[in-house]
Order: sequence, then structure tokens, then C-alpha cells
Amino acid sequence: MLEMITAIIKPHKLDDVKDALLANGVEGMTVTEVRGFGRQRGKTENFRGSEYKIDFIPKVKLEIIVTSETADHLIGVIAEAAKTGKIGDGKVWKYSVDSLLRVRTGEMGTEAI
Amino acid sequence: MDVKTLKSRVRDKERQKFFLTFLGGKMLGIGAAFVAITAFGPWLIGTAAHAVGAKPQAATIDDVVSASNTAWTLIAAFLVFFMQAGFMMLEAGFARTREVVNVLQECIVDTCLCALLFWAFGFAFMFGVGNGIIGHSFFFLNNAPATYTLTGATGVSFMAFFLFQFAFADTCSTITSGAMVGRTGFKGDLLYSVGVSGFIYPILGHWVWGPGGWLQTARNGVHLLDFAGSTVVHTMGGFIALAGAIVLGPRLGRKFKRDGGGLPPGHDMTVAAIGGVILWFGWYGFNPGSTLSAIDSAGIGRVATNTTLAAAAAGLTAMAWVYPRSKKWDIGITINGFLGGLVAITCPCYWVNTTGAIIIGAIAGPVVVLGIDFIEHMRIDDPIGAVAVHGIAGIWGTWSLGLFSTGQYGSPKGLLWGGGSTGAKFFFAQVWGNAAVGISAFGIAFLLMHLVKLTGTLRVSEEGELEGIDIHEHGAPAYHPEAAYMGKGI
Repeated sequence: MLEMITAIIKPHKLDDVKDALLANGVEGMTVTEVRGFGRQRGKTENFRGSEYKIDFIPKVKLEIIVTSETADHLIGVIAEAAKTGKIGDGKVWKYSVDSLLRVRTGEMGTEAI
Repeated sequence: MDVKTLKSRVRDKERQKFFLTFLGGKMLGIGAAFVAITAFGPWLIGTAAHAVGAKPQAATIDDVVSASNTAWTLIAAFLVFFMQAGFMMLEAGFARTREVVNVLQECIVDTCLCALLFWAFGFAFMFGVGNGIIGHSFFFLNNAPATYTLTGATGVSFMAFFLFQFAFADTCSTITSGAMVGRTGFKGDLLYSVGVSGFIYPILGHWVWGPGGWLQTARNGVHLLDFAGSTVVHTMGGFIALAGAIVLGPRLGRKFKRDGGGLPPGHDMTVAAIGGVILWFGWYGFNPGSTLSAIDSAGIGRVATNTTLAAAAAGLTAMAWVYPRSKKWDIGITINGFLGGLVAITCPCYWVNTTGAIIIGAIAGPVVVLGIDFIEHMRIDDPIGAVAVHGIAGIWGTWSLGLFSTGQYGSPKGLLWGGGSTGAKFFFAQVWGNAAVGISAFGIAFLLMHLVKLTGTLRVSEEGELEGIDIHEHGAPAYHPEAAYMGKGI
């Protein structure tokens, strides 16, 4: 069985999370620069003496597809590496993946990870 | 939608009250400033004002001031000032996106600070009458004569000379910020800038360029010659930058080459490359302008040509030097390379011929690359390459005059061109003079940076650095997000 782990983390924590995942046997990942907010609700910045509010704060979204057996362990790994203890550390979740195909070789399922 | 029109805002009673209080406060402040100016004004400008009333000098001024030389020096001063634009673009382009506003703000505020400090006492320390170590006349430009004649008379009006020298001082302080990008707290930047532009540059500069500076005392018939400042501006700026980078430490997460990392790439090569070329353009004020004389037309032409040839040779040799390593034509190195060539030719530009200029530039290219490698090897984080380009190429430039001076234009003949024992002594004077300035600058700056560090303002907090110094110190990124991501009220 395959599962997709998606994590929204602070951009400056990406390097730590990447290193932690590589050390735990993950071989590839996809990241996207995203924006959003949670309970912290945005922040203010300044331009020429006046303030403006940024509702959507820059974050990084990281996605990996893994086997079900390793998924929970890897979620722990991500959470530990991404944690600063301050507001805005993000979230990690998983859901099952129906099928996976490696384009170059035609391998399917866990072989294609 | 709760959109207030301008009309409704003006009619709002609360806002009217606030506006009146606000306006009243401002008026009080302006009033206080006027009182202060009338009270303290005579102290600042008093003697000069008396001088104007005392004797009508019009006839004598016309005799002394040379219009053409003054105009030339002012054009050169404007060109050197425009180098600030080049520095800002180069540093911003070589920085990461999160530290661009900080770099720009530092350069602008350093310029503002330097202008006032150089007026108040920097110029007095550097070009005032005094002893071998420091000058102490012309504070606040008081008692200024029509022309500045203490270090050679070309009839340039006093204020034009001041402006030209201010532009030089500003260059030195901007070089410093280049090696300290991305982690220096802004308050710390203000503090060390006062030290660099107000004290270190003027005092050490006095040794070489000021009236009676101790490095101009001849030993064995020769002394340090530095036409436009390979030592005074660039070695000094580079070594102050080195002290700053060492005391600060590297940016968080910076991995060095020997630890399997490397310099994080700059964020905008278009801006960096154009900034480099603007610097090259500004150098036509820096070097040829240092003649302080339009009448010395042969000199200006020679200096400008030598400047061009050295930069051209250095750009090519720096690029060629890294090609075998990476098999790539590296733009960052090429920019740093030609800048190193310009720094190197700054000292000898008046006294060498074109062949000498090309050799000096051609050696400067690899010198810059090796310098960058050395700084990286020492695990010092210098995002712009300021230490290698200004400090190390400045050393080479000063030495090179002792090797390639032709002896035709008033300097002793260089060692490699048949200067013999005088040439050897002259080369030694160049090495010694450069070392005296470089080591002193490094030592004093090292102390200064530690002092600023003691106040706790030299470096931003870890949290602020990770968030990005632009947002932490200035509240704004260089590249604002799409309006769609912002809240209402914009």
C-alpha cells in the first residue's frame, strides 16, 4: 500500500527536513512554494511608513509518496525536523494513494517509489 | 465593504482632532529646531561668516581658482559618487532575496552619514593641518580658503575638493558593508559606520594623502606613492570589511567549500553585472579625476587608458583562471575580476605605461580568484567578495607600482623595469606603506567591531536572520508579494 505525505512547513526549515528524510531512506520529494495561514492569521509589513497586512504567509509544501509501513515514522521525522516551537510551524498529513507509475520504466506500485 | 472616501475621512471629528494635534506637534518641533539653529549656528558657521564680511576677496579668488580644473574635479566627484549606484546594484545582485533591502538601506544611510561626518570632522582629520598622524583644521569646513593648496596646488576650489574627497570616503565605507551582508543589525551598522567614515578612513588616509602624513616621509629617498587609493581606499576598506566579517561570523546555515558547501548564489545577475559596469564607469572619475587638473590633459588620458586596459585584462584572466576548474564561463568571477583589475590599477595608473597596466590587470584577475578561494578556505563569509576584490587586489596594485613604474612621470623607476637599487627601495616602500595602512585598518576595525558587538547590536537575532533580515530590520521584503495575498486596506 502506498501513502502520500504532505507537509506544510516554514521555508527556512526545508533544508533540515530534507536532510532528515534522506537520512531515513526517502529518495525523492517534491516541494512547492505556497502561501497560506492558520490560526496565526497573517502578519504586517511596512512600505514607506505605512503598514499593510499579509494574510497569506509564504510556506513550503513538501510531498512524498511512501509505503504504509513507513508513513507514520516519516511523519514523526518531518514533525521533529520542522519544529521550532513557535507559531506557524505548519502541519503534516497523509492519505492513501491508489496507484503509482514510474514513467521511464513502467514500474508500478511500491517498485515505483 | 467598508470603504471610506477621502471626504468622509476629512469630515470625521476624531480625525480632525488628531490632525490638529499632529500638526501642532510638528510646528512645535520645527520651532524648537529654529531656536536651536539660531543659538548654535554661530558656533558652527561663525568664523566663515565673519570672514566674508571682513575682507572682499573677489579679486584674489579669481586669481587662484582655476575654472577648468574645478569643473573637471567636480565632474569626477559626481562620477565617483555614482559608484554608489554601482555598489548598491552589485551588492544587491550578489545578495540573497531576503537581504536586498538591508544592503540598499545600508549603502544609502552610509552615504548620508558619511557626508555629514566628513563635513564635521572627517575632512579636518584627513586634510587639515596637523601632525603626521592626524590633521586638525577646517572642522565644519570653517576658515576654508578659496582653494585647497596644502597637498599640491591645481587651483581646485575648496568645496569642489571637499566633495571629491567625500565621494572617496563614502566608497571606503560602502566597501565595508559588502562583506557584512545578511546578518549585521542596522543599529550596529550605524555605529561602526560612524567609526569607519568619521575616524578610521580620515585618520589613516591622512598618513598617505594628508599634509605632512608620516607615510610621506622619505626613507632612503623614497616613500609610498598611491595615486588614487589602492591602499588608502581599497586595501583599507577591504581590511575593515575583513575585520567585520570575522567578528560577525558567517550567515546562519552557511556551509563553506571545504565542508562540502559553497557561497549561496546571488539572486539577480542582471543587477549585479550592470552594477559592476557602473562601477567601472565611475572609476573614470576615481582615477583620472585624481589628477585634480584638467590642464594635465596628457595625464588624464594616460590614466583613463591605463584604467580601461587593466580592467579589461583582469576580467579576461579571472574568467580564464576559473574555466579549467568548472568548465564554465562564470559571470560572478568575471565581474569580480575586472573590479579587481580596477582596484589594482588605482594606485599605479599615473606612473605606468599601457604595457604595465595590462600586466598589472592580468595578474589582478587570478589574484582576486585566489583571494576569494583563500577567504572561503578560512571559513569567512564574504558574500560580495569585498575582501578579495578590494583588500587583496589593493595590495597587489600598490606593490605593482614598485615593479612597473616607468620613471617618466615623477615616480622612481620600478624594480622590473631597470630601477636598480632605487627601484628595490621604492618597491619596499610600497610594500611597507601598504602593510602599515592595511594592518592598522584591520587592527583598529577589529577593536571597533568588538566594541559594537559589546553593545549587542552588531548582529541580528537568530530568529530575525532566519525570517530574513529585510523583514526583521526593515519590515519589508525587496520584492513585495502579489496584492492578492495582502489584507484589505491597501
